[in-house]
Amino acid sequence: MVAGIWLDVLDEIGRTCQAYGRGDLLQTVRRKRVQLLDPTLRVLVVGEPKQGKSQLVNAIVNAPVCPVGDGATTVLPTVVGYAEAPVATVVEDPAAVRPAVGPAPASAERTPVPLDRIAAGVAGTFGRHAGGGPAYVEIGLPRDLLKAGLVLVDTPGTDEVTAIGAGVPAAALARADTVLLVSDSTRELSVAELNMLLHVTRSHPNVVVVQTRTDLVPDWRAVAERNRKHLAEAGVPAPLIPVSAALRLRAAATDDRTLNAESGFPALIARLRRDLAGKPDSLARAAVGLTARTVLEQLAAPLRAELESREAEKDSGPISRLHAAQREVDELRRCSTRWQNTLADEMTDLISDLEYDLRDRTREILRTVDEAFDSADPLTAWDTFQEWLDRSLVEAAEANREWLVQRCDWVARRVASHFARYGHDVLPPWSAVVPEHLADWLPEMERPRVDRFTATQKVMTGMKGSYGGLLMFGLALTLAGMPMINPVSIGAGALFGGKSIHDESRQLLRRRQSTVKAAVQRHVDDFFVRATRDRRDTARQVQRMLRDHFAVLTEELQEGIIRSLRSAKAAADTDAAARDQRQREIRLKMTRLAALYEQAQQLAVGRPASVPLERLT
Amino acid sequence: MTAEATLVEAVWGLLHRALQLYRDDPRATGRLRGELARLEQPLRVAIAGPWRSGRSTLLNAIMGEEVAPVEGADGDTFFTWYEDGERPHATAYSTGHPPQDLTVVKSATGMRVDLVGWRAGELRDIVVRWPTRALRQLTLIDTPPVTGPDEHGRAAVLDRVLRDADAVLYLTRDGRASDLRVLTAARDSATGQAAPVNMMLVLSRADEVGGGRVDALLTARQLARRMHRDPAVGALSLNVLACSGLVGLAGRLLTGSEFAALAELARVPRAELEAYLLSAERFLRGEPPARVDAAQRAALLDRLGLFGVRLATTLVRTGCDSRTKLSAELIRRSGLTELRESVSRLFIDRQETLKARSALVGLEEVLRAEPGPGSAELLGSTERILAGAHEFQELRLLATLRGAGLGFDAELAAEARRLVGGDGVGLAARLGFEHDAPAHELWQAAAEARWRWRDRADDPLLRLPQRRGAQVVVRSCEGMLATLAAGGR
Repeated sequence: MVAGIWLDVLDEIGRTCQAYGRGDLLQTVRRKRVQLLDPTLRVLVVGEPKQGKSQLVNAIVNAPVCPVGDGATTVLPTVVGYAEAPVATVVEDPAAVRPAVGPAPASAERTPVPLDRIAAGVAGTFGRHAGGGPAYVEIGLPRDLLKAGLVLVDTPGTDEVTAIGAGVPAAALARADTVLLVSDSTRELSVAELNMLLHVTRSHPNVVVVQTRTDLVPDWRAVAERNRKHLAEAGVPAPLIPVSAALRLRAAATDDRTLNAESGFPALIARLRRDLAGKPDSLARAAVGLTARTVLEQLAAPLRAELESREAEKDSGPISRLHAAQREVDELRRCSTRWQNTLADEMTDLISDLEYDLRDRTREILRTVDEAFDSADPLTAWDTFQEWLDRSLVEAAEANREWLVQRCDWVARRVASHFARYGHDVLPPWSAVVPEHLADWLPEMERPRVDRFTATQKVMTGMKGSYGGLLMFGLALTLAGMPMINPVSIGAGALFGGKSIHDESRQLLRRRQSTVKAAVQRHVDDFFVRATRDRRDTARQVQRMLRDHFAVLTEELQEGIIRSLRSAKAAADTDAAARDQRQREIRLKMTRLAALYEQAQQLAVGRPASVPLERLT
Repeated sequence: MTAEATLVEAVWGLLHRALQLYRDDPRATGRLRGELARLEQPLRVAIAGPWRSGRSTLLNAIMGEEVAPVEGADGDTFFTWYEDGERPHATAYSTGHPPQDLTVVKSATGMRVDLVGWRAGELRDIVVRWPTRALRQLTLIDTPPVTGPDEHGRAAVLDRVLRDADAVLYLTRDGRASDLRVLTAARDSATGQAAPVNMMLVLSRADEVGGGRVDALLTARQLARRMHRDPAVGALSLNVLACSGLVGLAGRLLTGSEFAALAELARVPRAELEAYLLSAERFLRGEPPARVDAAQRAALLDRLGLFGVRLATTLVRTGCDSRTKLSAELIRRSGLTELRESVSRLFIDRQETLKARSALVGLEEVLRAEPGPGSAELLGSTERILAGAHEFQELRLLATLRGAGLGFDAELAAEARRLVGGDGVGLAARLGFEHDAPAHELWQAAAEARWRWRDRADDPLLRLPQRRGAQVVVRSCEGMLATLAAGGR
């Protein structure tokens, strides 16, 4: 038997589905396999309501099995098959979802219908139980055509594609071998019908448009011609067969062969017989071709999607991590230059600022000293003064030092801010401490030597001054005949003596003051130099420590980044390899699928005599 | 009735107030003047339906002449208005040009409008004036095919139909679900929930039902009746009728020679003729033993359809032995009589209400589109009339009774429907009498009905909607009594 080739292909497709883990598709393929191996030809009759579908079925089997008429509308699908004697059954299948191929599942409820109640059965008002699930009517008839394996399925009319066979597996589109779309001659194919055809032909190899009721319209040939044009324009590869059920039934009643020929049914039945005969071969090939197309497309879709997403993924994943690590290295390099510059600049600034500050403070002290010793006498005020001076200097030094510490801290933070993106714990774990006992390193200031105005000196100076005055006035008065030593000259001498003592003591005070000022100046200078040095030392120390700390930190960071760079690089390398391999795999799979598809299509194309019976009018 | 006069007066007054309000707005004024003029004009009835549902044939059958369709060269159709006029005349309204006169070519049984030189899609409306009695009280509108609702649930053609027409005959071949869906969408969407139902469903092409057997029209009529009883359909339409436009038109246009040919055919023995009437083809090509040549047979087929020929020969054989008899019988059987009666009872008798409703809807649109000082108050008045006018209350009750019902039993519901004018708004029709019943009988029936429904309106055992419904019925009865007291019918 020829069945071998397409069966092999179908099985191959099934195996592929299994390999891909697509149980659902495998189910479809298996169902198709069973259906194709089944010698009966299942003909599904679909179409809009009131187009003469049931009448068509009746005319094909030459018996009024399906109720027709104006009120009668098919509610339940009707399956007409062969039986020794006429029989009708309403079948209710609660487990309708499962593939109902072959014998009906045991759970299905079968209710025999008396032959005179078929109409009620088909209208869904007889033989049904509550909650019995989707139902259909099975009718058996002793007819040769049916005995040969033809099964006709009459469906409720609908103008919506999705409603065909909805809910009832017996009338499902997938189980049909041939689909007859029924449209009557009083009008051309409607948009809804063409849409339905497009939908059905996509999944079905064998669709025939049956134009019924040619008896009613004189110009049915023109309608048929226009319909064929519509079909061609819409790209629907379906032949069109015009028929008249009324003529056929009449012909059967009167046994009129010419009338039968006129009804157009011989062409339709020939077509069905040919399909029946061709089912194991050409029809099956075409069906396998279509199945292959839908199944393989569904298999290939995720692969294609994966391929595409992988293309898109190139920018993410390990490669992007590698890029990020490289960027990180560059960033760190820039960062280390930046922090070094910042540290150096800030420290220079700091030192000069500190010097200026110290100088400012000492100047202030000196100015105060100057002002104080303009009036005060070092002899009496020295002790208090020294105490004040020491305190002031210590205060200045402390304030300056405090500032230094703060500035150092600030600088450390400033530099650390460059490392902000690496975390927060980058500040050095210490801070500059103000040494206690500042006074200790203050230079000791010895009391400046100052000249006291002793009593002897005072007498001597007084004597010297009084001598001149005595002599001056004594001599002058001698001219007036008065003795040299007279009260006036003695008074003048005393006056002059007192004045010279006074002058002398003032002069001495000046000298003492300036001596002390000079001494204080020296002392403060001394202090300034020492303090400045101390500050410089501290600042440099801090700078060194900061530098060491951040250098170590930079090194650590660099090490970490380099490590991650290396790992990223390694990962990227392996990933690229893996991806290439996966891509190769996918491509290989796709190629295999394509080959399988090609094979299936070859089957369909290779079917002999594909279109001769199409235009039988 | 006097009540209707007051409703129209109220609408009239509202429109004039709106005109005063919008006197500086030429667009609104134009629209309002249109609405005002429309109140004066005959009732507009649109014939709408899907593709190939037989709109033009039915229109011809109603007119009794072959005047439709007016079609462009490539078969595109427009809103075609058929109005009464002194002499045949047609005007084209297009999107880009000023109105333009068209050539009207008269033929033996009607006319044809010459549309040479118009591009597809250019024409919007064609107004045909045609002297005929059928158009005295009606303006008929032939419409382009209604397509299914688009993604917004709207059908553009149907929207325009509902806006422009006061009442609609909706044609369907078999009352399939998709047609009903379109109607539901139309009812839910646009014009006025206040007075919902102004449609009649027509099973057109009734002759093709069931493959054109001789009893096709009877079964179609049964189908229509069954649909009418279905609440899902009843909520959408005032009535469901089966009508074969083709047979009806043939009845109205039947000529002597056609009758002669039919009579000739009917003389052939029945069994013999049946073989020729099996299919259109056989009838045309075969050689029946009667002196009717092929051209005549083709003309007959064209006029009557295969079903019509079958029916006509049977009728001739069973006693319709003259042209007038056959013609009357064809018209009666086609369902056309019933259709016209229905249109007259449900549309024309109620035309004041229907026109007032259209005017109110138009006014409301203007008021909502261009709000200004004073428009809110007018809007309030509009809504008050829509909600309060007894005629609209009757229509709403009617729709409820046809649809889900109020829970009255069938007999009561039928009586309520009759009393509020579901079978016609004439006094006799409401009270269930022949139209020539004497006034005192009418008075008695109305008074009785009023007392009975007054009891129901006060019955505390009934649910509130039922009591409300009963109140409306009582109000209708009181209106009838008032009319009778004033000496009107």
